[in-house]
Amino acid sequence: MNRRDALSKVALLLGGTLTGPTLLAMSRVAEAKSAQSLGDTFALNETHRKIVAEVAEHIIPKTTTPGAKDAGVPAFIEMMLNDCYKKPEHNSFVVGLVELEKKNFLAQNHDAQVAILKQVEADTKELLKAYNIKQVKVGDNVDKESMDGKLGVPFWRLMKELTLLGYYTSEVGIKASFVYEPVPGKFVLTKLKPGQKAYQY
Amino acid sequence: MNLNIDAIKNQTFDAIVIGSGISGGWAAKELTEKGLRVAVLERGREIKHIEGYETTLKDPWEFAHRGRVTNMAAEEYWANMRTGYTPGEEHRYLFENDKQNPYIEKKGGFDWIRAYHTGGKSLLWGRQSYRLNKSDFEANLKEGVGIDWPIRYEDLAPWYTYVEKFAGISGQAEGLDVLPDSHFLPAMAMTAPETHFKNAVKSKLGRPVTIGRVAHLTKPGPQHTAVGRASCQYRNKCMRGCPYGGYFSSLSATLPAAARTGRLTMVHNAIVSEIIFDEQSQKAKGVRVIDQNTLAVKEYYAKIIFVNAGAIPSASILMNSKSSRFPNGLGNDSDQLGRNIMDHHLGVGASASVEGFKDDYFFGNRPNGLYIPRFRNWGKDKRDYLRGFGYQGGASRAGWGRGVGMDGFGASFKEELTQPGNWSIGFGGFGEILPNENNRFTLSDQKDKWGLPVLSFEAEFGANELKMREDMMNDAAEMLEAAGFKNISTYNSQTTHIGLGIHEMGTARMGRDPKTSVLNKNNQVHAVKNVFMTDGAAMVSASCVNPSLTYMALTARAADFAVNELKKRNL
Repeated sequence: MNRRDALSKVALLLGGTLTGPTLLAMSRVAEAKSAQSLGDTFALNETHRKIVAEVAEHIIPKTTTPGAKDAGVPAFIEMMLNDCYKKPEHNSFVVGLVELEKKNFLAQNHDAQVAILKQVEADTKELLKAYNIKQVKVGDNVDKESMDGKLGVPFWRLMKELTLLGYYTSEVGIKASFVYEPVPGKFVLTKLKPGQKAYQY
Repeated sequence: MNLNIDAIKNQTFDAIVIGSGISGGWAAKELTEKGLRVAVLERGREIKHIEGYETTLKDPWEFAHRGRVTNMAAEEYWANMRTGYTPGEEHRYLFENDKQNPYIEKKGGFDWIRAYHTGGKSLLWGRQSYRLNKSDFEANLKEGVGIDWPIRYEDLAPWYTYVEKFAGISGQAEGLDVLPDSHFLPAMAMTAPETHFKNAVKSKLGRPVTIGRVAHLTKPGPQHTAVGRASCQYRNKCMRGCPYGGYFSSLSATLPAAARTGRLTMVHNAIVSEIIFDEQSQKAKGVRVIDQNTLAVKEYYAKIIFVNAGAIPSASILMNSKSSRFPNGLGNDSDQLGRNIMDHHLGVGASASVEGFKDDYFFGNRPNGLYIPRFRNWGKDKRDYLRGFGYQGGASRAGWGRGVGMDGFGASFKEELTQPGNWSIGFGGFGEILPNENNRFTLSDQKDKWGLPVLSFEAEFGANELKMREDMMNDAAEMLEAAGFKNISTYNSQTTHIGLGIHEMGTARMGRDPKTSVLNKNNQVHAVKNVFMTDGAAMVSASCVNPSLTYMALTARAADFAVNELKKRNL
């Protein structure tokens, strides 16, 4: 089979070059052959659920087009963590939420919340450096990240990735953001006009 | 008594074809069109063209996990997980559950990706279609590797043309000895950075770059529309199954062609456990099958048998067909059955970012990329390893996924991600693996749920492949650099196994000498002339090009020979 094509297909479905905590988590799942891990279930408490919803809405806010909440992203994130991630990510995700809870995140005004999240993003960058993440190319358009399997992908990376995945593959997200052409019928070269939306297929 | 005779009559055909994948479909088409009554025995479930493609028209939001693999699926599909893409939610329904279909890896690991249903992997293949070249058929003899092919390019050339016309191969004629042209439908377009790359690599390094040659209908002809196929719709959702018949598969093309003759009988859920050898005539008289659901055992009889179950299953069926004449498996006088497993080694190449081309864009999702034909050990080039490799790759603009690694969030971040991102480009190598008798599988003592032996693999890359990979990585970077691309990064995966290319070959090789090969130059089992094998098992060397087109040509050629022999009463 044509690896490049097939691998890039996965990348395309995920919206392009997906560097990946996702793929990282996937590969760890593949390595863990023991059935015991299937028992891991994941559910958020009500406060954490509210934080997830607010953070998702900060990443993709409602503007002239729908936002993360409109697209059902908060519930999607919880479902994905339960179905597609394991203990290390369950732990790191909750650690991030607890830290936001300590900062009384929900009680802050909009600007203060933004300031907190900017700090979380900056801290995450440092954290990922310390995790000694190695980029391993497994295909033309697919990177796999390798790092110590016991460390979970940090909260902010999970939050951002799952928010983007949940939003830009949702019906409202796709239709509001892109020119959706599920059956293009042709392949032709074009010129990009200023401000032109991307095609999604 | 009458019932019995009727039953035997109902189970007797002119020909049996084992497997309905890319080569089995061709055997069915050719044999029925030449007047034979044919039973195709498919071990898997029935999938109907169009209505059976359950995910093909789904929108992205209709996939609960948006295409991703759940923990549950990851454990069930453990071998598929190694590919990184086959267990995805979009097309997992067409791949086999590895837990339910176990196999043993003794040494080196082996990635065995299976698809048990009508059409087999012809529904899932990469559609890349290339002819072997003249040198591919001569290299073993010249270099003293393995054994010599019993045929030459000229023997297969007319059959390549024959299958290309029916299958429909899109591509650009280049007039290259290293990559002989096919009978082409119009080529797909290259994007602007790809054209720049092609020109730079040609002028600076003297290496040709061409658009991928794919089994897609870019301009259907009457032979295509007659079986219900339409033009490719450029959705690039091929692996879900194509309701337009835009790409060639057994379901879209050869099986409908066989069915319209009125001489095709499709039998599903029929796992062939063995071929029945008749000591008196020294021929095969039929096959024994196990119903995969009821476990009922049934026999089918025919004058000729085409074994097209895929390189590994085809050889395993012969191994499991034991008789006093063949205690080690039907036709296994040479002990070559199951040996010389080849594939293409991959997971090595380079990628880069492309500056500029900001106003260049495209409409449509091209199910294809670029192809760079082999240039190592070709012409005057001489390396410290044998054979060579080709590349597949291409350029694209980043989508919303780039946002994961970007700083920022909020309204302007959201807005930015709705527009196409920067271009990037990458190429991955496909390298030739040499035949090696020690790369093999055997029947283990363990049994699967049908009471058939679980297969045990021992296969690993040799020094030649490992040396070649250095070039595969560095040459890709060199070409990206020649085109002026930036941020070049190279990769050479150390964790891939034989099998990852899903191009299994060589397990019942053709040859002139029955002492060193299983099949003769017409794909007949040397010692059992009415048994033919024309899938990947027959390959004597692997070349570095995708192999399916060669299986198609070998099958059409062998079917023609078989029917002529039947007419001459030689079989």
